[in-house]
Amino acid sequence: MLKYAIRRILYMFPILLGITLVTFLLFNVAGGDPAVQMAGKYATEAEIEAIRKDLGTSGPLYVQFGNYIKQIVTFDFGRSWATKQEVTRMIFGEEFRTSPMLVSVSLTFPAFFITLVLAISIGLLLTFYRGGVLDKSIMVVCLGAISISSLVYILFLQYYLGYKLGLFPISGISYDWVDKWNYLALPIIIFVALSLGSNVLFFRTIFLDEVFQDYVRTARAKGLSNKVVMFRHVLRNALIPIITLVVIQIPFLITGTLLIESFFSLPGLGGLIYNAINNADFPVIKAMTFISAVLYMFFQLLSDILYAVVDPKVQLK
Amino acid sequence: MSDLLQIKNLTVEFQTDDGPVEAVRNVSFNIPKGKTVGLVGESGSGKSVSSLAVMQLIPNPPGRVKNGEIIFDGENLLDHSDAKMRKVRGNRISMIFQEPMTSLNPVFTVGDQIIESLMLHKKMNKKQALDRAIELLDQVGIPDPKTRVHAYPHEMSGGQRQRVMIAMAISCEPELLIADEPTTALDVTIQKQILELIADLQKKYGMSVLFITHDLGVIADIADDVVVMYRGDIVEKGTTEQIFKQPKHPYTKGLIACRPMLEQNPARLPTVSDFMTVDGKEIDYKATPVEKTVRPITSDQPVLLEIKNINKHFPLHKSFFGKVTEWLRAVDGVSLKVHKGRTLGLVGESGCGKTTLGRTILRLIEPTNGDIFYNGTNITELNKEEMREMRKKMQIIFQDPYASLNPRMTIGMAIMEPMIIHKIGKNKQEQMDRAASLMEKVGLKPEMLNRYPHEFSGGQRQRICIARALAVEPDFIICDESVSALDVSVQAQILNLLLDLQEEMGLTYVFISHDLAVVKFFSDEVAVMNKGKVVEMSDAVSIYKSPKDPYTKKLLEAIPRGIPKTMLPSS
Amino acid sequence: MIRKSQNSLWNDAFQRLKKNKLSMVCLFIIIAYIILALGCKLGLFFPSFNETNNAISYQAPSAEHWFGTDFMGRDVMARAAHGTLTSLTVGLWGTGLAVIIGTLLGSLAGYFGKLVDEGIVWLYTTIDTIPYILLVSAFSLVLGPSLYTLCIAIGLTTWVGLCRVVRAEFIKHREKEYVQAASSIGASHARRIFTHILPNVFHIVLIQFSLGFVSTIKSEVILSFLGLGVEPGTPSWGVMINNAKQELARGVWWGLASATLLMFVLVLAFNLFNDALRDALDPKLKNKS
Repeated sequence: MLKYAIRRILYMFPILLGITLVTFLLFNVAGGDPAVQMAGKYATEAEIEAIRKDLGTSGPLYVQFGNYIKQIVTFDFGRSWATKQEVTRMIFGEEFRTSPMLVSVSLTFPAFFITLVLAISIGLLLTFYRGGVLDKSIMVVCLGAISISSLVYILFLQYYLGYKLGLFPISGISYDWVDKWNYLALPIIIFVALSLGSNVLFFRTIFLDEVFQDYVRTARAKGLSNKVVMFRHVLRNALIPIITLVVIQIPFLITGTLLIESFFSLPGLGGLIYNAINNADFPVIKAMTFISAVLYMFFQLLSDILYAVVDPKVQLK
Repeated sequence: MSDLLQIKNLTVEFQTDDGPVEAVRNVSFNIPKGKTVGLVGESGSGKSVSSLAVMQLIPNPPGRVKNGEIIFDGENLLDHSDAKMRKVRGNRISMIFQEPMTSLNPVFTVGDQIIESLMLHKKMNKKQALDRAIELLDQVGIPDPKTRVHAYPHEMSGGQRQRVMIAMAISCEPELLIADEPTTALDVTIQKQILELIADLQKKYGMSVLFITHDLGVIADIADDVVVMYRGDIVEKGTTEQIFKQPKHPYTKGLIACRPMLEQNPARLPTVSDFMTVDGKEIDYKATPVEKTVRPITSDQPVLLEIKNINKHFPLHKSFFGKVTEWLRAVDGVSLKVHKGRTLGLVGESGCGKTTLGRTILRLIEPTNGDIFYNGTNITELNKEEMREMRKKMQIIFQDPYASLNPRMTIGMAIMEPMIIHKIGKNKQEQMDRAASLMEKVGLKPEMLNRYPHEFSGGQRQRICIARALAVEPDFIICDESVSALDVSVQAQILNLLLDLQEEMGLTYVFISHDLAVVKFFSDEVAVMNKGKVVEMSDAVSIYKSPKDPYTKKLLEAIPRGIPKTMLPSS
Repeated sequence: MIRKSQNSLWNDAFQRLKKNKLSMVCLFIIIAYIILALGCKLGLFFPSFNETNNAISYQAPSAEHWFGTDFMGRDVMARAAHGTLTSLTVGLWGTGLAVIIGTLLGSLAGYFGKLVDEGIVWLYTTIDTIPYILLVSAFSLVLGPSLYTLCIAIGLTTWVGLCRVVRAEFIKHREKEYVQAASSIGASHARRIFTHILPNVFHIVLIQFSLGFVSTIKSEVILSFLGLGVEPGTPSWGVMINNAKQELARGVWWGLASATLLMFVLVLAFNLFNDALRDALDPKLKNKS
């Protein structure tokens, strides 16, 4: 087990190198010379060079790459082009209470949890009554639900529940531990609404895969009731893909949801990325790309290790 | 003696894309108390469906019991509510399935799975149930049951898993045990142990057993009564002795006659089609069996293939830095000679290395070391281009006729492909004509060339594979378990075809199989493999009459005799 | 010459698909969309979609403008119809590119294994690790937003899923006996890959293409909304929905409604068709649901 984990951790280094290379290629090589754009039409060569120095884009490529590695190692991604603030500070915030990450996580974690509980229960229900009217009609509803753009969900629900009915505030956040839920309630509802359909379909497929396994027939041959077969045998096996799925989602939850946060002007990481994209703010995008990739890599590792823990079939050699 | 189970006029129907299909039609038979009834039939005969109907485990939809009664201990099971039926399942009737790999839940320990029925039906608490589970594991012959009760299914061998399934099935001391092909996936030596175990437990608990199998040899060993099914109907039923001594239905006659038996030496095997037309009419078959003439292998018999000290090792364990610390010696220093125009049988149980050896001879797998001489050329030294040329001379026919044809290619294309690769035949028309004549040679209609593999039966597909192998006019063919996946009646036809082709074209065969009776029938010489090594090699008759190696003896003893106990001379 | 049998697996699959009435309706809808898009492309339908007239901005649906007009007085129906063209173009080229890359790399990795495999797996793990939206936005920012940038960005980032599936299929198939049989008659690597294995995994590529098409259409809308998609002025459902952000409060609902409706019908038809397609091409799965 330990050997497997160590090997798996060592495997992260080539991937880390790959991420560094790809982001570097994209922003420093293919991206052209941002200094020329930033300096404006009438800048002198000296002014442009000064900006280049500031951005870490002066000198030959290998020097630039060296600078980039330095940025990564020191975790200092320079200053935002748009706000001139330090990028690291923008991402992690001044203090924990107001940090963008906490805003994103307060929105996504509860929302994802609610989605999971609902989707798994509905998925089990549909598998239980598979082929029946209930199964078929909910399937159609889910297929319809995933056919609507997520933009429309946000736009419509924000307009109708927030603006028209005035049930919820439609923008901003409070940093008060209680009051903030007032602001987050509608975003959470929207998150659940737009991710429920695809999740139900996903879990239904997973459960159906298990229902037709031979061991289910054996369990029924023992005289166990459908309920016991479903909850004890099927669910326990389906838990293996479910756990890995959940763990793999966590990095996306941490980096927040771009669309919802931008619509509700929430100062989370998603909103940060949205603004950076809008302002072509390369340092922020670069830093966020790198950080998300590392997060993803880390949780991928965790999910692999968990997989080995939950699934007795996986023999680690 | 009274009957425990009576099946009356059972018809089971399945919904398919092409409308309803009756998998079982008007089936009636009885299972007496304490007796074993063998239900025998080839694939698709409806034998498994009948047994699932008893348990009411037929997947619905698409299947349903259309009519009939299943009377168990005086009550019609088909009238039971689901709750009432659950009290029967696993308690009074229990079942063992074919695939011990997939039939156990992989995430629970075997103990967890055994105590489930005990806690449910016998209302034991967990502690009592676990103690009983350990007792049961001990009874079915699992060593160190106190520890093994906490093992997961994947930590056990196939045979042990089937023992666990049996322990689970007998845990509530059922009155009826249904065993659906319980030994088909197992090696013959393991099969013997499992069959003995079932027989012992039956005696001990006084159970009735419904034993479902395609293998008449097994049936003869274990059953008191036999029911023969063919395409959803029962064609014959009677005591085992009646069925084997005086079969009445032509299908039964054919089925019994077409099995190669260790005791006999026929030159050819009769087939079901010798006894019965396709639509079931009886043919008066009177041919007297011709004894096989043993072709002596003299020292001046030319050697076509000689392999010297071949090894194939696969890495099994690697150290942290990727260095191999343990090797699987799949083929471990094998040397063999194959004589021109003769057949060498290669027999052994699963994992003995016979298939790896076969593929290594053709360099489909590269040997770790060793030499292979074909007609004097050492083919392990040939480069890619020379090896490609060599493939014209050496061919292989695989086990699974369903997997060995490309499903997206017409069979005409499949047979012509080797000609295209090796530029045999002047143009497409000539290749097509050759393909057509090959089809006739293997007993298929040339008009079928434009069809796709899924339109053929297993036996027909194996004929196509033979035609494909013959397309390059080889001298040497490896038959790798080529008849193992086929029903016995089809198996006999393919074996006869291969014999005819050998006679006609002077082919040399290496015949790989796990089935010693088939190998003995088909081969001139036999080599027995165990754990990567050839343990014994001799001509086909003497290896059966006077085996020298203890492993060969064990293998021979394990083969079901195919003669009912009551008919054996010793009893 | 003997005529080819009408019973190839492809034909079987098509017959199964034909039996499913709903899927045929969906196919019909998808074809209608394709005709609409082609008509727009050739200038047959709604040639005046770029005509502005500030005098009639934000007109509610009327006999003249069935779906009303937008802030520049352009006909919403014409804009939405041309949005179909944008969507399908991006869907086709973006997904097409991804399918070509994914199939090719997946085949090579799965078939050859060893170093080739490790290299390709490294490449796609790296790409997969970087969040899709950030990768695409980086592409768009670097290359400048345009329809073609969008296609390339989507193509270069979404091949990973398909590559994984194709690789796994190749690993499964390369050990199968029909491939072993091909090598035993001396077939070359290319022959084994392209005439033997690929036709046998192609139905999976087809399913993945169809699934990818749907998600590309959905991505286009979101990327255009983020300003990373098409050039300004190009009609796009995403841009129309983005505009609705300001319009809704003023009671202008028709822009949002028509883009949403057009997209909904297309995507739903695709989703239902995909389900049927999967059942038809992979009948083993069918009995499961």
